[in-house]
Amino acid sequence: CHRPGGRRDSCRRLSGAGLREVLGPAQGLLFDCDGVLWAGERAVPGAPELLERLQRCGKAALFVSNNSRRSVAELELRFSRLGFRGVRAEHVFSSALCSALFLRQRGDGGGLVFVLGGEGLRGEVRAAGLRLAGEGEPGGEAVRAVLVGYDEDFTFGKLAQACGYLRDPRCLLVATDPDPCRFPLCLSLPPGTGSLTAAVETASGRKALVVGKPNTYMFECIVERFGVDPSRTLMVGDRLETDILFGKNCGLSTILTLTGVSRLEEAQAYMASDSAAAKDMVPHYYVDSIADLIPGLDE
Amino acid sequence: MAAAEARPGGRRRCRRLEGEAARAVLGAADTLLFDCDGVLWRGEAALGGAAAALGRLAAAGKRLCYVTNNSSRTRQAYGEKLRRLGFPPATPRHVFGSAYCAARFLRQALPPGAAAYVLGGPALAAELREAGVPHLEPGPAALPGPAPADWARAPLDPAVRAVLVGFDEHFSYAKLCQALRYLLRGPDCLLVATNRDHRLPLEGGAAIPGTGCLVKAVETAAEREAFIVGKPNRYMFDCVASEFDIDPARTIMVGDRLDTDILMGNTCGLTTLLTLTGVTTLEELEGLWKSQKTSHFSWVTWK
Repeated sequence: CHRPGGRRDSCRRLSGAGLREVLGPAQGLLFDCDGVLWAGERAVPGAPELLERLQRCGKAALFVSNNSRRSVAELELRFSRLGFRGVRAEHVFSSALCSALFLRQRGDGGGLVFVLGGEGLRGEVRAAGLRLAGEGEPGGEAVRAVLVGYDEDFTFGKLAQACGYLRDPRCLLVATDPDPCRFPLCLSLPPGTGSLTAAVETASGRKALVVGKPNTYMFECIVERFGVDPSRTLMVGDRLETDILFGKNCGLSTILTLTGVSRLEEAQAYMASDSAAAKDMVPHYYVDSIADLIPGLDE
Repeated sequence: MAAAEARPGGRRRCRRLEGEAARAVLGAADTLLFDCDGVLWRGEAALGGAAAALGRLAAAGKRLCYVTNNSSRTRQAYGEKLRRLGFPPATPRHVFGSAYCAARFLRQALPPGAAAYVLGGPALAAELREAGVPHLEPGPAALPGPAPADWARAPLDPAVRAVLVGFDEHFSYAKLCQALRYLLRGPDCLLVATNRDHRLPLEGGAAIPGTGCLVKAVETAAEREAFIVGKPNRYMFDCVASEFDIDPARTIMVGDRLDTDILMGNTCGLTTLLTLTGVTTLEELEGLWKSQKTSHFSWVTWK
């Protein structure tokens, strides 16, 4: 891949000797999930084998996903169902889990959380020891935070309710992720948390604290639990604006896989751009699929 | 105090309107355009002195028109509300609600036979019907099945060539999904919205989320911008000007929001009058003054 005028190591296809050079020293890899490991209900061919090889080589595999729909327990089951072996809930960092951890950390212990989201997200908030505001609850304890996630049951009524709580400036407004669309590669893209957050921000006049990629909080959660060394960790993702920028923000080397949202042409366009913001979204390396990483690992 | 004057090459001044100056400014006008929420009423309560003031203006032979971003009523219904709250009688012809104007816009913008997918209420549907614009009836909608794969299979009406977003108390994720699917079908599907107001003021200082929030949700999901019919864009003024013989130099726009009413009025070359009975507070106004942002309007409270 030609590198006109950009960083020396920008957007190189990983293959052959280059693969071994990059993967050899790595202690672990962080993987986005949708569009990287699977697309919809099908695993990306070769992805389960790659994870197995990483395990055998003693390299860590951790998962960082903006999807706030499922609890990490459900995600563990999903991994298994799609043919991935040995992935446990504690390896998985979803925006649902990390939002709950964030709220627990920021809260002063008291108060309720009003959650715009499904049962997966609500479960993670409960599991973090927080209490949820019911719907239509009169008076009672103060709501200390509004958490916006992926919510198939979002309605105007809930929007109005959230705004009521947010009139108190001490009530936090937190969003699980900024994604405008939920799935890559579907013919019809369901709207993501980002669009619901935009509605709440507009109505309340407040800006949300966004937990998910490209913001770095989820990496802080990973470091807290596993103590990873950024200089020995690679970030693998399919979305330039989320995964690759996240990697850049956390000081990780980044690998773009082309089985998901972003096209190689988009990465090249960012590389050719003059803006610093665009350059932050250029991956160090790219592969057609993460299965291409397998030859870089020892037998 | 005088009204806002245009000074060559400079910003206009912003002054309180009272007494002799008020008489002069109002005397020089043929037509007054009034925003409604926060100017004439809040919710179902008329603001003190407003009806009497408008009565005097009507008696003095001024033409009174009503220009509102609120898409939850038809022109007919606004006429009835004006009458009910004691304002001078107004025919629907004098009322320019964003629902009516959106219907007019679509009638001219849609190709023959094309329909609109509507996120809105019964008033918006009624105005579309009256304007002869085919549309899918708005109302609550459930997700067609539990998984995204089901949603992708739900039928799309081939006639739809526009998504129209107005005030929709039945707004839901399912409707947002449908709207997005129509918009992703092709760039020739228009995205039109009645207005961007963040909040709708109600009586007693309360407020509910405005249409602007729903527009933002659709725009974010679709990654494109809507054409906005309502203030501050000039389309609604153009509707007024096409209905009546308006001289902008002899027309006053009265409103409570700087970023909609006053901005539209200034853009269209009208004299603008801000009232502090609605969204904008004296503190905000003073803040603007101090920050040296262009402030070119007069302000008044009903007396």
